Amino acid sequence: MQLLRDILDKQVVDREQVKIGRVDGLVAELRRGKPPRVLAVELGSIALSRRLGARPGRWTAQLAAKLSGKRQARPHRIAWNKVRDIGVDIEFDIDVRRTKILAWQNWLRDHVVGRIPGA
Amino acid sequence: MKKLLEISLGVVTSVGGFLEVGSMATAAQAGALFGFQLIWAVVLGTICIIFLVEMAGRFAAVSHHTIADGIRERFGFNAFIWPLLATLLVNFLVLSAEIGGVAVAAELATGISFRWWALPVAFLAWLLLWKGTFGLIEEGVSMLGLVTLCFVVAAVMLRPEWKEVAVGAVPSLPHHDTAKYWFMAVSILGASISPYLFMFYSSGAIEDQWDKSYLGANRAIAGLGMSFGGTISVGVLIVAALVLGAHGVNEVEDYNQLPLMLIPIFGFWGFVLFVASLAIACFGAALEVALQQAYLVAQGFGWTWGEDLKPRDDPGFSLVYTLTLFLAAIPIALGLDPLKLTIFSMALTAASLPLTVVPFLFLLNDERYVGKHRNGVISNAAVIFVIALGFVLAVVTIPLQIFGGT
Repeated sequence: MQLLRDILDKQVVDREQVKIGRVDGLVAELRRGKPPRVLAVELGSIALSRRLGARPGRWTAQLAAKLSGKRQARPHRIAWNKVRDIGVDIEFDIDVRRTKILAWQNWLRDHVVGRIPGA
Repeated sequence: MKKLLEISLGVVTSVGGFLEVGSMATAAQAGALFGFQLIWAVVLGTICIIFLVEMAGRFAAVSHHTIADGIRERFGFNAFIWPLLATLLVNFLVLSAEIGGVAVAAELATGISFRWWALPVAFLAWLLLWKGTFGLIEEGVSMLGLVTLCFVVAAVMLRPEWKEVAVGAVPSLPHHDTAKYWFMAVSILGASISPYLFMFYSSGAIEDQWDKSYLGANRAIAGLGMSFGGTISVGVLIVAALVLGAHGVNEVEDYNQLPLMLIPIFGFWGFVLFVASLAIACFGAALEVALQQAYLVAQGFGWTWGEDLKPRDDPGFSLVYTLTLFLAAIPIALGLDPLKLTIFSMALTAASLPLTVVPFLFLLNDERYVGKHRNGVISNAAVIFVIALGFVLAVVTIPLQIFGGT
């Protein structure tokens, strides 16, 4: 398995098969004298814009902090040891409802989409 | 038997997807000005799109990924962002043009200016996406699209010299208006080889839960469906050449000249048929393009998507098509000329082709996605041809737009 080829940008689902995003970034730990170890995957707009460069990453983080508070100025992370299956999608043994990853989609449902008749 | 039904349904659907404001307008303009001489462009465009649609369907059926999924996953976000932005822009213009097409049909039917129809049309399309299912969109609208067959009937009834039609299917150099000739050829190719068509098709294959058992059906649907679509386009071109050209209308400058096409053959009903064909073909395409925008964004960022879900269950996805539809209606409501927009957006589509077609070369040869169902020599040659064509079109479109555009 190659991390960049096989993991980065893959569709992420939770244990209920809910689509929660793509692997937008990887977090690895460098260890002296040993191969690096993957700790977590990152998801969300901050992780994604960091890939375009340091500056877009900072801007997005500032924007996120402004919109939803200082605690949202970091990308969402899922620990690598929660990986359950890697196939068409990559499945993590988490329940997305207990995380903040889909907070903006929930906000959209409660404040915009859900208010339109027939939704 | 069930497969046969599915194939015929698929064929009808792809006819509905193929024929839209772009193919109708470009074929009519080309026929009026150059007679049968540009039939080759329709034929060439149709062959190219057959290959691309077949590959998009095969990729989805075998790998369970849409083309957008595949591009993001295989090439990474930093590469994906270019086809993403280009396709969003081109699709937006095409969607605007389709809304314009329906609005013009409404103007022809009622006498009320097309500008007032843009928002109601967008609203109706939105309502169908909001409440409808993928099956309803796919089958209902494209069944109605069969009305466009009236162009083929009309073309046959006009008794064209079939020998000349066949001559037109072979590329030849123009005798007059050289820049315009090539601009029309580019626009016809852009109208036939639309990225939204094959990207939508791959999303549809996932929505309909295709697997490897659909590979045969996929081949039949791509081949027959797109050929039927191309045949109708050729029908439009022949009728335009024989009716408009013969009445001295060489330059189609606005949509009001077009209903004339069917009147000599069907009388008053010709007018009705034309208006119905224009309205239905463009409306069907507007639904597909709006959905494709939402598919593209949702798949690219890994959101939940699906036309069969309730909007509250995929809020991001449904918000994208909602915004796209209403924003795309604005230029038409402000009075932008739908015909000019159509021709412009078709040429731009052609220019954007390399960005979406180059990935086919990698995705369809990657065993991790398509296993042993990878491209053969002929399919790869076809992709390379489309890429080369796309690069040439991308380079020549802008100068031609300046010298040959309407």
